[in-house]
Amino acid sequence: MIASVDLIEVVLALCLVTAALFCLFDRHLLRACSFFVAFTLCMALAWLTLAAPWLALMEGIIGALLTTPCFFYALGVFTPASEKLPSHDHFKEPLSRGVMRTLLALAWCLMVGAVVRFIFPAMVYSPTEHPLLLAGVVMVAAAMGAFAWHRHLVRRLLAFNVLGSGVFLLLAGLAGTDPQGQALITTALVVAWLGSLLGALVIRRLYRLEGENALLGSRGLKETRQ
Amino acid sequence: MNWRFGLTGSTFDPLMTSHWALAAALLLPLVFGALAAIFPPRRMWPVALACAVILTAGIFLLIDTRQAGVLRWQWEFSGIGVALRLNGVSMLLLLLTQWLGAAAALYTPGLLRISDPERFARWLWPLMGAVISALSLAWVATDLLTLYIALETMGLAAVAMLLLSGQADALLAGMRYLLLTLVGSLAYLLGVALILGYWGRLDLAGLAEVVEPGPVAWVAAALMGAGLALKAALFPLHAWLSPVHSSAWTPVSALHAGLVVKASLFVLLELWSILLFETFWAPRVIAWMGMLAVVWGGLIAWRAESLKTLVASSTVAQLGYLMVVFPLLLGPDISPLARALAWDGFWLQLMGHALAKAAMFMAAGNLILATGEKTLEGLAGTSRRLPLSLLVFGVASVTLMGLPPSAGFTAKWLLLQSMVISGQWWAVAALLVGTLLTAAYIFRFFRYSFMETAPRHRYQPLAPGMDVIALGLALAAFALGLLAHFPLDLLHGGSA
Amino acid sequence: MTTLLLILALGWPLCVAALGIWQAYRTPVARRRYFTGWWLSAAWPALLLAYAGEAQWAMDAWMLGSQWSLDALSRPWLAFTALLWSFAAVHARGYFAKEQARAQTGDSAAERRLLRLALLWPVTLSGNVLLIIAQDIASFYLGFAVMTFAAYALVVHNGTADAKLGARAYLILAVLGEGMILGGLLWAAGDTQSVMLEGVREAVATSDYGVAMAALLWLGLGVKAGVIGLHVWLPLAHPAAPAPASAVLSGAMIKAGLLGWIYVLPLGEASLSPALTQLGNIMLIAGLAAAFGAALYGVWQHHPKAVLAYSSISQMGMLTAMVAMGLAAPEVWPLLLPGVVLFAAHHALAKGALFMGTSISEHMPRWSPVVIWMLLALPALSLTGAFAGGLISKWSVKSALYEMHHETLISLLTWAAVGTSALVSVSLWRQWQQRSAGGSHPGQWGAWLAALVAALITPLWLPLPEGSAVVPPLKEWTSLMWPLPAGVLVVAFGLLVTRYGRLATPPAGDLWWPYAWLGQHVLKGVRRAGHGFAALKARCVDIALAIETRAMKSVTQLTAMEGWMRHHTSGLMMALAVMLALLLLWEGAS
Repeated sequence: MIASVDLIEVVLALCLVTAALFCLFDRHLLRACSFFVAFTLCMALAWLTLAAPWLALMEGIIGALLTTPCFFYALGVFTPASEKLPSHDHFKEPLSRGVMRTLLALAWCLMVGAVVRFIFPAMVYSPTEHPLLLAGVVMVAAAMGAFAWHRHLVRRLLAFNVLGSGVFLLLAGLAGTDPQGQALITTALVVAWLGSLLGALVIRRLYRLEGENALLGSRGLKETRQ
Repeated sequence: MNWRFGLTGSTFDPLMTSHWALAAALLLPLVFGALAAIFPPRRMWPVALACAVILTAGIFLLIDTRQAGVLRWQWEFSGIGVALRLNGVSMLLLLLTQWLGAAAALYTPGLLRISDPERFARWLWPLMGAVISALSLAWVATDLLTLYIALETMGLAAVAMLLLSGQADALLAGMRYLLLTLVGSLAYLLGVALILGYWGRLDLAGLAEVVEPGPVAWVAAALMGAGLALKAALFPLHAWLSPVHSSAWTPVSALHAGLVVKASLFVLLELWSILLFETFWAPRVIAWMGMLAVVWGGLIAWRAESLKTLVASSTVAQLGYLMVVFPLLLGPDISPLARALAWDGFWLQLMGHALAKAAMFMAAGNLILATGEKTLEGLAGTSRRLPLSLLVFGVASVTLMGLPPSAGFTAKWLLLQSMVISGQWWAVAALLVGTLLTAAYIFRFFRYSFMETAPRHRYQPLAPGMDVIALGLALAAFALGLLAHFPLDLLHGGSA
Repeated sequence: MTTLLLILALGWPLCVAALGIWQAYRTPVARRRYFTGWWLSAAWPALLLAYAGEAQWAMDAWMLGSQWSLDALSRPWLAFTALLWSFAAVHARGYFAKEQARAQTGDSAAERRLLRLALLWPVTLSGNVLLIIAQDIASFYLGFAVMTFAAYALVVHNGTADAKLGARAYLILAVLGEGMILGGLLWAAGDTQSVMLEGVREAVATSDYGVAMAALLWLGLGVKAGVIGLHVWLPLAHPAAPAPASAVLSGAMIKAGLLGWIYVLPLGEASLSPALTQLGNIMLIAGLAAAFGAALYGVWQHHPKAVLAYSSISQMGMLTAMVAMGLAAPEVWPLLLPGVVLFAAHHALAKGALFMGTSISEHMPRWSPVVIWMLLALPALSLTGAFAGGLISKWSVKSALYEMHHETLISLLTWAAVGTSALVSVSLWRQWQQRSAGGSHPGQWGAWLAALVAALITPLWLPLPEGSAVVPPLKEWTSLMWPLPAGVLVVAFGLLVTRYGRLATPPAGDLWWPYAWLGQHVLKGVRRAGHGFAALKARCVDIALAIETRAMKSVTQLTAMEGWMRHHTSGLMMALAVMLALLLLWEGAS
């Protein structure tokens, strides 16, 4: 029984990480958003396996039903074709930037991982005992790196959401699902939804006002000189 | 250090009036904001009426706090604890929030009346109410969950307020701010996760007892510190700040620069005083960053082309002064006298800057509104037609420069004393350089404003009271230096 | 009663000046009279005050607390000063009658000049009165400064090139003197922490730097009193100034310097430091040098008023020598002081009468010339010490010196009297040469005659202590009288000599010209240095500007870093978290 639970957890963790990575690094925006839906569903399942049905419910409602439409709205799925966002993020970040971000993400991964190890000394002996925790660490580091790396606003918003989910997983994994942790996660879910909603509205309006360039978060030289 | 924040020490059952006053102080801004969204006030008097109620609640709380020293509330709802406290510091900051909020709210009807009608104008009221409520909650909350709720509400409402002006600049800057503030909160949340996972509790008073130095405390402190530093616009994470202000509405800027960034700083100091008390390097790093902030903010403000950038960059520099104090408050081997002086100077500087910066933003907003120009060069020659706005700007900048007898002077005097006692000569140098740079950018603006080369003929008349409110704030910052013993009494009495 | 008089003595001249302004404002130019009866009365309350008896006033509210007094010294001083001012005022009314007529017919320059004189004359007077009765530093200095600077208008009145030169010399030296006086007074006041003149005397007598203070005060006040070297303004200002102004300048104001010495120097005090005694000796030599030098130089002058100015320098030189005795031989001072006062008073009136006389000889009344020239000669005779008031004043000085056996000084003073005789005879001779008929105003000759009589009978009206003015015994008369014929003979001999060998007249103002030459060259050097520094400054400014431009450019470039930080905020946040964590771990581990 325990092994089966473990197996489910491991599979879930793998699914989560895969979905998260696709969501973070796919340049095709619509596809990335679809992966985010899958990611949210995996999260809900993860909450169920962690015996937190309330959180699973919240994740289902807020994450899948409320947050993902925000992304599709931002991409202009519900609007005529002329107002759709470009389907790909073509911006090439400089290599140095990528290297730096990767290094920083690794450092975060190490840092958080080290503390998690300190809190659960037993993990050294059976690293797979808490697969969701590990997935959380990886997701936090990867999402943080992606957030710092990307300049496309939709992708950064996605990275923020993945980062949030990673933090929730870590929280639940470290503290268990006691009421305080659940309260924190619920609040954070609401906040993430509100933030995504606000972000989606702004992205839509920016695109209408300023066009494609604005989606990279800058307007050329003018802004930097201010 | 924890007793200073009122986390330990004698408890006292709050009176019935205190309960009501607290509820009023926390909830009424929200309620009135919602009401105002439904029935947007066109005149100043309904706003004044609403503010009067909230301010009265603040006065009640002040009286109770003065009597009791520390007021404490604790509730538990199905395993979730909520803890609040009111001591000298939080009382002072609560009062500051209420008065500054009242000033911003009173300023708003005039602004909305004379500027072009905006689609989202009515949303300003509930957002402002939410920001003030969240700020009040942040000052009094003593558990990590409530603090998180307060910080997030404040952050989201502040972003929304800043976005309201709807221009592309504002949207871009606001979007950046939104993403950064959310990520900063997540870093904070990650720290909370570590703390909750290791010690299993969220209330600060309890944590203060159980926390001991160790990797968890350190990494949590580092994560929370970085996240909150991002939200508090501490150098070098400050760069989102000035674009955010460049096209925001004036009362929003006043509230944001005066209070919102300070809330994150307050939480940062409070958490570090629990997690990192008497460590050497981390506060020292913050102080070094503060020195750079003082210089950098001053330089940017000095070379700024637009007035709002100048004012916003000056915030960065002024926050630098507060960062420089960190080693004196948290570091080891600081004599009690130096620590007490630094503590007083820190809050006095924070309050003086909040008032002066709000006044300055209002003065700058008035100037920009009246002339329709945003750049310093465009504002040349305003001295003749808008002397009152310039006067407000001048009085506010006296505080920023730290000239006697303003609050800035008293605060810097206390800080200098503390730094000299503890031998922090670099900090002293930073303070002096900062003062010089402040004078440089202030006088650069004044030089432009007194140029009479390009006579301007079209001036938008300002609504009555807009200048008067700003002047009131500037004079309050000025008078705070003269009457510094009142807030300092409260600081000492409330935390002793 | 006395207090009321005091207020009037100081306030009335100012009221008169205010009245003048009011009148100038009210009456049209054609009917405006500048020298009204009110104007003439400006000095009368002060005169009455001098005879009202001794008194003291102390006021804490007035400038750090003040003390004014009328005592044995200041009463006679005030008496002769006020008397001379009254006579000079009457004389002025006559003297300026023609100018006033011109002003009334529309000469706006004359109108402006007269208005200036009529306003500043009473102001000068009030300053003079204040400094006489003052016993505290602030009042004394205020009076002295008001008198000095207001008197500028009296000197510059005519507006000619000579008058401007004289006025400039006067002003330059006056500023120099005021500076030295102020320095000395403040130094001394700071030393004893006292604001009274008594404190100044005490400081000079007891302080380690007393001699420096004394030297400052001596030279500062010496500008007014015509100490040799600082006297150059006198022969330049007097010929150019109107006669009544010369009369008060040479009679009353010049004495203010003397009075100042008596007030601030510890004269006659026992056990003075050797340095102060040495200073006394220097003063003595300077005084005698002035007494002789002025006589030798003055006899060559053309202008009678220049000659009289040199005579004033010579006479003040004698008085300087006497004051110097107060430092060099303090025991003689108590005996000498009444003599000095009498000498000063007599000189004031006599010199006043002589200066007024110059205007009489220029506009001779239609009297018998013999009478006129005899009357003109009378004050001259008296001044030489051979006659009337002069005889008695000279004897009162000499007797004091005899008593203390300072025969050398006596004989030197007697020889100096020869110089005086020569000077006054030259002055009369020049007046004779430059005489012109034309009739004079009654005020003019009336005031002259009154001053003349007052000079001759000085000992009778001067409120001196009993027994300080006595008629000399007959056997001394020859020693007092012989300088007069000697001086006349010298002049006559000199005339004979110069008739055959023509000598160039040395210019009035003697040392002024070397001073001016030196000053101009120094100024030229300073100006050249200034140009050099200006060029250097311009170059420095250029360099600084270039540096500033470059620095500004780099600072502006630096601000581009702001954009970098904006794009990398989140990365920086990650880095900060990692760095803080590493630092904390490292610190915790070590």
